[in-house]
Amino acid sequence: MKCDLCEEKATVFYTQIADGKLKKFVLCETCAQEKGITNPDGLLMAEQVLDHTLSVPEAEAISLGSSTECSTCGFGIGNYQKVGRFGCPDCYDAFAREVSERIPTLHKGDAHVGYIPAGLVATQARDARLRDIKSRLLKAIDAENYEEAGRLRDELERVNPVVAENPVAESDL
Amino acid sequence: MMRFKTLLKHPADWMTGHTAETSVVVTSRVRLARNIRNAPFPGWARKNQRRELLESLHGKLEALPEMKRGFSHELSSLDSLQKQVLVERHLISREQAARNEGSATVVNRKQTLSLMVNEEDHLRIQAIRPSLQLKEAYHLAHKVDQALEKELPYAFHPKWGYLTACPTNLGTGMRASSMLHLPGLVLSDQIGQVLKGIAKLGLAVRGLYGEGTESLGNLYQISNQSTLGESENDILARLSKVIGDVARYESQAREKLMTDDPLMVQDHIGRAAGILTYARIIASKEALTHLSMLRLGADLGVMPEELVETCDRLFMETQPAHLQWDAGSKLEPDARDIMRAQMIRDQLRSALPPAIDISGNKH
Repeated sequence: MKCDLCEEKATVFYTQIADGKLKKFVLCETCAQEKGITNPDGLLMAEQVLDHTLSVPEAEAISLGSSTECSTCGFGIGNYQKVGRFGCPDCYDAFAREVSERIPTLHKGDAHVGYIPAGLVATQARDARLRDIKSRLLKAIDAENYEEAGRLRDELERVNPVVAENPVAESDL
Repeated sequence: MMRFKTLLKHPADWMTGHTAETSVVVTSRVRLARNIRNAPFPGWARKNQRRELLESLHGKLEALPEMKRGFSHELSSLDSLQKQVLVERHLISREQAARNEGSATVVNRKQTLSLMVNEEDHLRIQAIRPSLQLKEAYHLAHKVDQALEKELPYAFHPKWGYLTACPTNLGTGMRASSMLHLPGLVLSDQIGQVLKGIAKLGLAVRGLYGEGTESLGNLYQISNQSTLGESENDILARLSKVIGDVARYESQAREKLMTDDPLMVQDHIGRAAGILTYARIIASKEALTHLSMLRLGADLGVMPEELVETCDRLFMETQPAHLQWDAGSKLEPDARDIMRAQMIRDQLRSALPPAIDISGNKH
């Protein structure tokens, strides 16, 4: 889809509902910035851009990041604007920006509070412990404290035998 | 496994056992939306992907101890009438009734728990209890959820909680609601104000069959809107408080009506009783309106108390699909209206016997 104001690829989709009338336009990143659309605080966007006069009770801007399609399931962001639902759980990462913008209009908060699946709590606790042991192990190696390093390596093996095979090679500590 | 026929023959656990508590808050429901990692949501999945997901889930759901000797069917094996009956019983959603291939429902024997596969989300766990028992309903659903999370790789996001097809359900994935009978607030013209107040608190009010349905028989559903940023317990506590308040307003409105204008209330109840005991042809909407007044009369002690349960049963059994199921055939609306009137007269006869026989039969 092309930008309504120039020939560039459109990445910003704007929908405004005012006085029961629906207005839509699409813009490229550059035109959108020029018109100040990337700032969702601004109302009366349709007026600023298309030069109409109306009083606007509600406006909603949906600006896009770099991904327009979920790499896991092939769901396009355009579909979301049509059906209001996503394609798969990974869409939430692919369209994280849209989700972040949408959440304040739907919910009391922007982060989960409440029950977490038990398995996940155990996994998270184990991951945190692994990270802790690994960082201490690296420090011990740096300090050439091999006695401590050996002890930590044994501990790592007890917590997770697979990771212990090659602890230092894992760069994402 | 329980057959469809058996399911219908038995009223749900929450439909019987009327107490003072159910006079305003009829039922409480909680549903949890859950999805499986790395699988497309039902609305975006291809037919074979939906079927695969169903196959991986169905056995695990049927094996739950809660679901022992329950009802389990793929939606594709049910005809449209059967699906509609399940909707009227609140055992599946209207959305799921529209689905076929790769969609299934598992209901426990007491009809207090229902599991829907491949509705809007991969799995929806729903629990129903009578009266204002949102916490009890949540515990029922939560227990099943906890058993299933050991076996199913749920899609869970560190920041956004349970991931759902629609972002309106993110976080807890929990929608809790109660069904309230509010004739007092309607008759005293206070309902509009109360509904506005509920909306201001960020809660939703809907009609008898959920989203987009109108209120019939003075029945209203109040539910939470937000699912992210508040714990299950906080949502349930806040909702229970508001529902308790609304129930209290309703009781006060009834008392005030009986003090200020008893004749008006008696008139409504009397007319309803007259129409229901003598009508030969009655549409669903009219029936619900009068059954609501009759139920109010029974709650106020103006009518025999046993009528509360009769009215609750008739609320459901006079719905179009239940009527046709009972008749054993598809009926046109005109024929349904005749059958509905007959069913109501039959069920009211013991408590409200008609004074004369207007059928013209010579004695």
